Amino acid sequence: MLLAGALAALAAVLAAPLTPSPAHAADPVRLTVGITNEVDSFNPFLGIEAESYEMWALTYDYMITYSMEDMSPEPGLATSWETSEDGLTWTFDIREGVLWSDGQPLTARDIAYTYNRILDGGPESSSWGSYLTSVTKIEAPDDTHVVLTLEKPNAVLPLLPIPIVPEHIWKDITEKEVKSYAAEPTDGQPVVGSGPFRLVEGTAGGSTYRFEKNPDYWQGTSHLDEVVFQVYKSDDPMVQALIKGEIDFADDITPLQVKALEGEDGITALNGDSPGFDEIGFNTGAIDTETGEPIGDGNPALADPKFRHALGYALDLDQIISKVYQGAGLPGDTIIPPAYSTWKWDPPEDEAFSFDLDKAGSLLDDAGYTEGSDGKRTMPDGSPIGTLRLFARSENKKSVDTMDYFKEWLGELGIDAELTTMESNKLTNIILDGEFDAFHWGWYVEPDPDSMLSYMTCDQRGGWSDSWYCNPEYDDLYAQQNGATDDAERQEAVQRMQEILFEDSPYLVTAYNTIGEAYRSDRFACFQPQPDPGGILLFQYGVHNYLNIRPADDAGDCDGNESAQGPEAAGGGAGDDDDGSSTPLLVGGAVLLGAVVLGGGAWAMRRRSTAAYRE
Amino acid sequence: MTDLAAQGADAAHTPATVGRRRSYGRYVLGKVLGSAGSLAFVLVLGFFLFRVLPGDPARTLGRGRFRTEAQLEEFRATYGLDQPLPQQFLTYLKNTFSGDLGVSLRYRVPVSDLILDRLWPTLLLVGIATLLATVIGVYLGVISAWNRGKATDKVTTGTTLTLYSMPEWWLGLLLIAAFAVGMGPLPGIFPTGGLHSVDAEPGTIGYVGDTALHLVLPVLTLVLVYLADFSLIMRSSLLDEIGEDYLTTARAKGLRDVVVRRRHAVRNALLPTTTLIALSIGFVVSGAITVETVFSIPGLGLLATEALTIPDYWVLQGTFLVTSAGVILANLLANLVYGLLDPRVRS
Amino acid sequence: MSASTPALTPRQVTRRRRADAVRRSWASFRSHRSGLFGLALLTFFLLVALLAPLLADGEGLEVTKATGGVLESPGSGGYVLGTDENGRSIVTLLIWGSRISLFVGLLATVISMVIGTLVGLMSGFFEGWPARILYRVTEWFLVIPFIPLAIVLATVLGRSLINIVIVIGITGWASTAMLIRSQTLSIKERPYVERARVLGAGRWHQMSRHVLPNVMPMVFANTTLTVALAILAETTLSFLGLGDPTRVSWGSMLEDAFDVGAMTTGAWWYIVPPGVCVVLVVLAFTLVGQALEEIFNPRLRGR
Repeated sequence: MLLAGALAALAAVLAAPLTPSPAHAADPVRLTVGITNEVDSFNPFLGIEAESYEMWALTYDYMITYSMEDMSPEPGLATSWETSEDGLTWTFDIREGVLWSDGQPLTARDIAYTYNRILDGGPESSSWGSYLTSVTKIEAPDDTHVVLTLEKPNAVLPLLPIPIVPEHIWKDITEKEVKSYAAEPTDGQPVVGSGPFRLVEGTAGGSTYRFEKNPDYWQGTSHLDEVVFQVYKSDDPMVQALIKGEIDFADDITPLQVKALEGEDGITALNGDSPGFDEIGFNTGAIDTETGEPIGDGNPALADPKFRHALGYALDLDQIISKVYQGAGLPGDTIIPPAYSTWKWDPPEDEAFSFDLDKAGSLLDDAGYTEGSDGKRTMPDGSPIGTLRLFARSENKKSVDTMDYFKEWLGELGIDAELTTMESNKLTNIILDGEFDAFHWGWYVEPDPDSMLSYMTCDQRGGWSDSWYCNPEYDDLYAQQNGATDDAERQEAVQRMQEILFEDSPYLVTAYNTIGEAYRSDRFACFQPQPDPGGILLFQYGVHNYLNIRPADDAGDCDGNESAQGPEAAGGGAGDDDDGSSTPLLVGGAVLLGAVVLGGGAWAMRRRSTAAYRE
Repeated sequence: MTDLAAQGADAAHTPATVGRRRSYGRYVLGKVLGSAGSLAFVLVLGFFLFRVLPGDPARTLGRGRFRTEAQLEEFRATYGLDQPLPQQFLTYLKNTFSGDLGVSLRYRVPVSDLILDRLWPTLLLVGIATLLATVIGVYLGVISAWNRGKATDKVTTGTTLTLYSMPEWWLGLLLIAAFAVGMGPLPGIFPTGGLHSVDAEPGTIGYVGDTALHLVLPVLTLVLVYLADFSLIMRSSLLDEIGEDYLTTARAKGLRDVVVRRRHAVRNALLPTTTLIALSIGFVVSGAITVETVFSIPGLGLLATEALTIPDYWVLQGTFLVTSAGVILANLLANLVYGLLDPRVRS
Repeated sequence: MSASTPALTPRQVTRRRRADAVRRSWASFRSHRSGLFGLALLTFFLLVALLAPLLADGEGLEVTKATGGVLESPGSGGYVLGTDENGRSIVTLLIWGSRISLFVGLLATVISMVIGTLVGLMSGFFEGWPARILYRVTEWFLVIPFIPLAIVLATVLGRSLINIVIVIGITGWASTAMLIRSQTLSIKERPYVERARVLGAGRWHQMSRHVLPNVMPMVFANTTLTVALAILAETTLSFLGLGDPTRVSWGSMLEDAFDVGAMTTGAWWYIVPPGVCVVLVVLAFTLVGQALEEIFNPRLRGR
């Protein structure tokens, strides 16, 4: 350790005078955001990571964006829109006076160009094609109108979260070239976009991405001069960097870190609701999608909706939330998270799942799965159920722990189960082969529920359906809501679908997850959560907060934005006396480490003289 | 690694079977052919090893995005994943020989670009760490051999062995806690991670200093853990030399201790150490993966580890090929130097 | 009665000679203080592992039966070293974790010893291209970075305890093989082996009766050193998320501690003790191994 200290000191002396100090005159206002995953592509037609979506949102504009409150569609480049009576024609009015960062005007033609690229197939289509389902033609009759022609109504419209790219740049990139087109700054020239920021430095897979503000953004310029994303490969060092002040915002941290940070001065930490859920999924009956023959070896008991539904009462979700999710989450019930209140269906009080092993037992008894003489439940025909094979994703601790609890509760019901953990890639194969009984996984749910609902349809078996669920009534409702032109009608169908899923229980939704975030509230203020209230602060749908955020000493009343977290939120911790610092760790570590080193040395020393001169 | 040390020492001293000593030329040829064989093996293995990995890149990369089977198929077709394996293998061979390592499935950029970007942080880390560990390790080895049985020897050996027993990433975490976050009187002088500060301007002296500052803790971690490898082998080979006759002669001639040490023993004892340095590069590269994780250094190790979860075949093949080739070449080089310096091994 | 020694059968002679050798080795081992220290440490950890059920209730490992609060600090609630994020006692985890860590270390070593000894013996004893190929393969395994290979293997095989053992076992045999090979090469040239050869002893006889017994002590010494490496490897694989998440080992404890942010939460009792245990056990095996090496390898004597 002496050596370590000496080296460290030496290096510090050497390096300190060389360390660049921030420019003194007119320091740019820079927000540095710590993230734990790289951007996989700055090309909006290629990337898939959440981080990449954030980068595109900073660089490009969208015809329609999402609201802060509940992520409903809001005007973006389109100021208003109307649908024809039959729902087959959509006309959008496009904002005037928007400029690309190279000075060219952004018109309806750029939008039509982008959409047509997607409609034409290729990588563009595999990324965004699903938003243009049943769209047959996209036209820009003039600079301020975009007209979409459909073959049948599509209820997901007007939601079109597709980044608009400049035609004058992208027309030179062929479909073959696009699959490796980086869309990154070249020769020091920033990427041409129309968004509130422009990428000046960074490459896909790199560790730093630097954005400069767009000085004449049509929604008003940002209060930040620069936004920098710094990739950390693990949470804890990132949180330490936040405490030290190397970064201003830490994304995706654990509930325990949030708790520890609540006590730090100048830092605000929270668990924001993330629109997604975790579930235990069952093998409801895997089939070969071509022949319709059963495949795999799923337990026949799980093909019975009554059996699956009964297990819903054998889950103590409160305990799972408090122990597995460290309290940062909500018990789940349906596949639509509470953030989307318009679409969510809540099970009636007396039917909702509650932890009640007696009720679960009597439901199983009623369905014929009675206990045999050995205390184990049997199939209605008296044959043994056997051991249920539960699968968890080994890289996800919540997954492993949840299934661990589930296994024990099944045991108390008289059902044997065994837990296997594996990489999600491998689990995907097993699910596709139907060689499982139950697994734990999760989904992010988009503001429009259509895609999530589609994953439970018969058509998706062998595709994205992991429960092999198939119910014609559900499928009919899916088609009905997808083609609905009336909001109320669609809402009713969507809610009825959730009710069916609740009864049939291909999934037992265990939790609505949260994402931990923390920022230096002594430096920045005016973050508004999405959904508001209770949501996350960055990596939202849309870029609202990059325009809201202000330096803390210049925040005022955040322009009267009431739900934004003003400067008074600074240091808002729960006021507990745990200072959350790592000093105890350090002291403990140092003492033990020192003891070990000294012990080793001392022991070695005692060897002295015995074997000394035995040449 | 300790057995490596023993083996390195053995290699140098296995009684050379008296007989025909091959010329250096033939020795070089043999070694070069051997390395070429290894490279060919790596080339083939690199392809098939990763195809065994579970998972379908189209599904991993398309979760929540591709909604139809057609979209999945389109993705596979775009990246040639729909072709039969032998066909893919031939394409891979052809491309590799023309210097094309393919396009990353995840990042959609040429793998060679990715590797170039990630290579220098790893090279910097591993290079400096190996260099320092060697120099300090050899020095410590000399010191302890010369003071064999004395307190200096015991403390040095005890400390290096204890450090050697630590998982390097655990030590890294403790170092972050101590010197980056700050502990008691120690201010947190070093950055917690990354390779350079956001505001450092590339190409300036400040930038170099900034990078150096970021490298201190990760390099220190690797150096501390791998110190024992070099100090132990140096110590044992030097002890061997001390026993040799010529040294007794030198002493008898009345040369001062220091001169003896420098002129004869140390120089000879360095020989087996060269082989070990080359051998240990593979180990340091391994250690670098976890250290890169802890210190968030965007290196080659992390690139490969993350590519596994997709699996991003071309990135895996590329990194595997490049690192293996690097290690094989380093070994070849060490062998050639060794053969030049010590004719005994040529036989 | 025992004054005169009756004539001994050859078997008895052999047995007596072996017993003497063991006694001599032990006497010489006792003079290695660091080796003895290592042995004491080792005995302690082995005892802990063996007596785990007596020292701590196995139910304490079950997340569902955990009684403590989240990350309670040492001393509070009767937990000597506090609790983990599930409210389990760290001491219980350490005690039961020692079983998995030692089990993985020892079993993986057995695998690499078997492979390493076989390959080493064969590439040293035989001549011609099979030996050369074996040598190449060994050299290749020695040179290739261990972690990437282990990661790929672990990913392919999936995560279970036995797979971790296999992965570590089949990636770690190369240095043993090299060592055995060089020993075999030098033993092969010894006069008595040559005499046996001249007298017409078959290869199998030469190998099993002459070479192997002479190599065994080195194998033994090497084994203890390899266990140290295997335990470190288990820790590292766990850290990289490739361990068996349903079992508690020191490596998995460290990984969990790192995952929940033990550094930020100040939970030093979660991240320091498992690490110290690893360091102590690895150090113990290394010290014992080095002492054995010195005893069995005359060339190293006196260092």
